[in-house]
Amino acid sequence: MNTRFETLALTTVVIPQGRLDFGAAAGFQRQVEAVLAGAGTAPAAVIIDCSALDYVSSAGLRVFLLAARAAQRAGISFALCALTPAVREVFDLSGFSRIISVHADRATAVAQAPHLHE
Amino acid sequence: MNERRTTVPGDPAQLPVLMRFLQEFWSAADLPPAQALTFELALEEVFMNVIMHGAPAGTALRIEVSLILTNSGLTMTVEDEGPEFNPLSLPPPDTTASLGERPVGGQGVFLVRQMMDAVNYQRVGVRNRLTMTKYIIRFSGDHLPA
Repeated sequence: MNTRFETLALTTVVIPQGRLDFGAAAGFQRQVEAVLAGAGTAPAAVIIDCSALDYVSSAGLRVFLLAARAAQRAGISFALCALTPAVREVFDLSGFSRIISVHADRATAVAQAPHLHE
Repeated sequence: MNERRTTVPGDPAQLPVLMRFLQEFWSAADLPPAQALTFELALEEVFMNVIMHGAPAGTALRIEVSLILTNSGLTMTVEDEGPEFNPLSLPPPDTTASLGERPVGGQGVFLVRQMMDAVNYQRVGVRNRLTMTKYIIRFSGDHLPA
């Protein structure tokens, strides 16, 4: 699995690509933790863009759950967006779409993220 | 080719090997690609679960996976010679719990039970045997109107 990162002002968008299975989960968890910790300044919002995520197992769900909790503790807005049908099914069946914010697309997720005006 | 079987060591590094085994069966049997993910997920969850509840220290666990295709669906069986453990005895996670209260573990077996049409556990001699079936709608050319 590959992961790309994009920064839009105070929002960091994480874009995992491929399969988030047991083998990929630990590495992805470290990447998301590093984003939440921030380099110097923590982001105001983290969005996981799942449009290129083909597969997620319970090992991946665990990473999302831990990340959502860490974000909540740190006061960082956290959401997922653009879930593929297969990933959406796993989120819905597990009930995770009720405890983690999921938006239809990235534009909606960005619009919902907190914006700080200077 | 309606039945295939493979045995691998109980090692997480074998997961990609099992995925290839499943994907090869899937293409050879010309099954609908959209339903492959259900079996990939079930195979990962059950395989990892067996490893987690694994073999007694110092013994090497071997895990056998078989796929049997019938007219109505596909049955996947995962067998191991580890200590007796029925994953279906695990209570389902509380899906109404809040973000802070939701348990981190226990999601895998719960997902498998929801995605499959039938899941059964048997202790057969020294073996744990978990059998999972999903009914699969196949569009065979034989049944299409001319």
